Amino acid sequence: MIEIIELLLFGTAIGGIFALIASGFSLIFGVSRILNFAHGVCFAVSAYSAIFLIKEFSLDVYLASLIGIAIAVLLGLAVYAITKPVRANAVMVIIVTLAFALLVEQVILTSFGNRGMSLTPFVEGVQVIYENLRMAKMRLIAIPVAIALLLALDLFINKSMAGKRIQAVSQDLEASMLIGINVEWIFIITIAISSALAGFAGILYSQIFNIYPAMILRVLIYAFAIVILGGLGSIRGSILASFIVGYVFVATMKTLGTHWSEFVMLIVIVGILIAKPTGLFGVRE
Amino acid sequence: MKSKIAQLIALSVFLSLLPLFTPPAYLYIIGLGIVFAVIVASWDLIVGYAGQVNLGHTTFVGLGAYTAAILQVPSRIGMNLEIHPILSIILAGTFSAIVALGIGIVILRLKGYYFSLVTAILPLVFMQKVFIWKDIFGGEEGFSIPVEKVAFAATIEKYYFALLFMFLSILFMLYISNSKLGIRFKAIRDSEELSESLGINVTYYKVLAVVISSFFAGMAGAIFVNYRHTVAPDLYDVPLMLLIILSAVIGGLGSLIGPLLMGLVIYLAKNWWLTFLKFGILNEEVILYAILITIAILMPEGVYGRRIFLKQIIKKLQN
Repeated sequence: MIEIIELLLFGTAIGGIFALIASGFSLIFGVSRILNFAHGVCFAVSAYSAIFLIKEFSLDVYLASLIGIAIAVLLGLAVYAITKPVRANAVMVIIVTLAFALLVEQVILTSFGNRGMSLTPFVEGVQVIYENLRMAKMRLIAIPVAIALLLALDLFINKSMAGKRIQAVSQDLEASMLIGINVEWIFIITIAISSALAGFAGILYSQIFNIYPAMILRVLIYAFAIVILGGLGSIRGSILASFIVGYVFVATMKTLGTHWSEFVMLIVIVGILIAKPTGLFGVRE
Repeated sequence: MKSKIAQLIALSVFLSLLPLFTPPAYLYIIGLGIVFAVIVASWDLIVGYAGQVNLGHTTFVGLGAYTAAILQVPSRIGMNLEIHPILSIILAGTFSAIVALGIGIVILRLKGYYFSLVTAILPLVFMQKVFIWKDIFGGEEGFSIPVEKVAFAATIEKYYFALLFMFLSILFMLYISNSKLGIRFKAIRDSEELSESLGINVTYYKVLAVVISSFFAGMAGAIFVNYRHTVAPDLYDVPLMLLIILSAVIGGLGSLIGPLLMGLVIYLAKNWWLTFLKFGILNEEVILYAILITIAILMPEGVYGRRIFLKQIIKKLQN
């Protein structure tokens, strides 16, 4: 029983973090049809920046995280800038974003090394929930934080004027231009928000696990799995799928070991595709 | 078709004359570049001809590489086999093709972006076996194959073997691309719905395209291992995939010869011409990626489409 509660709590925390990454990836694709292979860059760089700032300038962890997220947003804008000239060609977009991700990975590798690193948690220590049920406080805190951010994102997309413009652009680019929406601005806003979310996910992740340079690409495995499950471009689908992937991830980690998580993820994807080739929550192309 | 065969023969003759005036150390790298170029051409077969943007081609390169390595050093799985290296290379290609058949049947039902996303995950997933069964596959460092167990030991022999492999596989790919099969591939690339309405079994031909291209990818992976005498997870990894995509796109998708040439050029640039560049944290890989991004941004239309890249530069110069 205790194991199951632990698994559920931990899975929710991880699922929340994955949701922050995948919803941004999905949002960018929905609006601009860019498959952003550099999305993991924002995730990893914000965490590494915060670690660096705390170590070198002994900054407060909150301030360091804030600067880290700001750097993630800047990198997101860099991705926007380099994909702008090639946006019409899907394969070129993949090449450019993938090359950018590998470039950043190399820079992190040469400046920080291949060793796993972790960020000072916002709150240290272990929370005793019930007799034998203990969890690191950070893992518990990640749950409400991630959910609050996701709710805010959902509200922003569905209620605010800017969010409605984002929806309009993702539904029909030309029609949005016709009614006077500045499409380029919408692209920039979308990629900035998504990068900030991914950056925040990186901060949370590196307070729970170790982060290492290869995460830039490995985190995409989970993002892709989520997006395939939830349907490309659908935010709510992605958020739901993230929690499924989170539980599968934690269950695999506890039973078979971390190395197996990719294998199991692939089996889950393949299984779902055999049953329902368009993903779980329907698809719009 | 005839001009392409002529180009292939010209390239092969040129490469076969290189050993006369090239030191063995450079010959070694050029030979590896030739094998890499075959991988690029095999990717072109599935993407440029059948139109399926497969981002997981290195899965089959890696599978072939590890299959050959295990077959040639069977003591790692506690078996005692005597398999001729050439046979193990062919078996490696066959194994890659069989796995591709299984994977293809499931994921080729997906279209467009979904297909690309799933294939992009494949190499990262298959790579994990190396870390899960560290004792067998050697983990991060891989393992080496003793000299007496590889196909050829001398650089010059390896070089000519790589060249022969290139010539035969490209000849076969050219033959396929020009046969009825190739025409069906192209029909599927241009319009799946229309091909279906003409009575072409789209899924069957898409799976066939993946199987054929994976066969060559697997053999190339096995030859890589016999060439370097080591096998390591880099043959699965994303940087290799990026180089493949890039060479094929710059070389001109759907032309086979263009990707072949550009694959050779880009491989040599990365492993030879750019290796002396190093400024602090900017190692040669960072510089290579920066150059690639710049090329892509400056010439999006130059690298796009199915025409050969060089032709377009010439056109630009003429205007």
